[in-house]
Amino acid sequence: MSDPAPSTLLVEEGHHGSGPVVWVAIIATTCLLLFLFQKILWLVVPFLLALILYYLLFPPMQGLIYRGMSRDGAASLVTLGFVVVLTIVGMALTPRAASHIAGWGDTGSRYVMGGQRLLENSLRGLEAHWPTLAKARVADKVATRLTQHADSVSDHLEPVAIGVMAWAPSLMLAPFLAFFFLRDGRRFQRFLSSAVPNAFFEKTLYLLYEIDHTSRAYFQGLIKLTVLDTVTLAAGLWMLGIPGPFALGLICAVLAWIPYVGSILGGLLVVLVAATDFPDSPSMAYWAIILFGAVRLLDDFVYMPLTVGKSLELHPLVTVLMIFVGGAVAGVPGLMLVLPVLGVVMVIGETIGVIVTDPRLMARHRHACTLRRAHASRDL
Amino acid sequence: MVKLFRPRKTTPRLERLHGLSLFVNLKPAELEIVDGLLHEREYLAGEVIFDEGEVGQAIYIVASGEVLICRQGQGEAGRVAQLGPGTFFGELALLDDSPRSAQARAATACQLIVFFRDDFVGLLDTHARIASKISRQLARHLGARMRVMAAAAGAYQHM
Repeated sequence: MSDPAPSTLLVEEGHHGSGPVVWVAIIATTCLLLFLFQKILWLVVPFLLALILYYLLFPPMQGLIYRGMSRDGAASLVTLGFVVVLTIVGMALTPRAASHIAGWGDTGSRYVMGGQRLLENSLRGLEAHWPTLAKARVADKVATRLTQHADSVSDHLEPVAIGVMAWAPSLMLAPFLAFFFLRDGRRFQRFLSSAVPNAFFEKTLYLLYEIDHTSRAYFQGLIKLTVLDTVTLAAGLWMLGIPGPFALGLICAVLAWIPYVGSILGGLLVVLVAATDFPDSPSMAYWAIILFGAVRLLDDFVYMPLTVGKSLELHPLVTVLMIFVGGAVAGVPGLMLVLPVLGVVMVIGETIGVIVTDPRLMARHRHACTLRRAHASRDL
Repeated sequence: MVKLFRPRKTTPRLERLHGLSLFVNLKPAELEIVDGLLHEREYLAGEVIFDEGEVGQAIYIVASGEVLICRQGQGEAGRVAQLGPGTFFGELALLDDSPRSAQARAATACQLIVFFRDDFVGLLDTHARIASKISRQLARHLGARMRVMAAAAGAYQHM
């Protein structure tokens, strides 16, 4: 059964591509989902974290099953192990974090002021070299504007912090959800696949596997990338003598999960810390900028291809446009969620597009429906 | 903890899987891993399972009923083989994504177990021992088929 015979009924892989109609539907669905997800963010964020946990804990669970443990037992044990490790780390860090949280409002304002001072000093330095800038009194104007905005930033920091603290407990849902993903994931996958008609089964399952492989590669790569980014940035900050290098590195690495915007925020954070903690040494802030730029380049050209790669396979233009659309539709959550949501909607949309435009599969499905109707009414 | 890792007792479902020639060498714990990767489908007599020329993604194992392997669109007239419970077909799909060389139709109402290539490839990475046992059975099956074909072509003595 190996010689490929010519046939007019060939169903070739990738023969039917997604047209503009499918893509319009994909983008519209993504926007709609982002709008809805924004309303249930307390569930969406733990769900995404649970998905990351699932992909992390799946290999050890498989190892336990292979050694003779039941699926339920293995899922329970690996989830419990993770919760225990998390609790130990949490207990070790809580006293230190609590002391920082108490005065974090003042700390935030101090860092904003530090950044403002650095910018003002830099502009004054530029004015000294460029008379045109000095005539326009750019430094004074920017300083006035920033002072107004700095006040409003301080006013906004507290409500944002309270908001984050309010839904942070929902993150506790993540290990709970991950446990059920681990225990019932296969059962759920089989339940979903049983809903697919026989004619579309093989092709649909193949594409669903693609989603699974893509998201597995994406999330596992993201974790590796975060570790590499954290270590590199922390090492650089430590060499510069900036306080809290590991925490800063970790925050920047996590912020980098938001494409483009996250990197800018991370860079800004590093510069603010350097400018505030070393007010008499502006060169420290410039060194921090150089370090951050170098790490970003290392990330883009070495770490990223080694870890996340091109797992989502999105066109760069579509990626950038969708980030802006996500931000416009659902704000900061939209920025964070737009690419994973688009990735999943894209594969599902393309799968449906491939199936409904394949005349042979549709004909087989109609034939199967006719047989089932005849079978159901055979003794009537 | 020791009790948790005791050799697993088999269940009727696992025994049924163990009875299939492809999985005959697997232990209960190994069967449980494989069982998590399998899908079950039900077909009515006359329903097309796959077409000739279609890119193969999965191997099908007949759990009950009978399946007709035939030339595309020729039905009984183009019959290549008729397979019963315990046998499997479309096995080359586990090895590569070459097109199916014949059409498969349900000869009677049947229940099939489907094993996808991606799952098999994943098994090679995560549980090479299980995958090697399945590969061995597959190689035996292909060898037996080659001998039958060679014999049919009158070239058995040259092999």
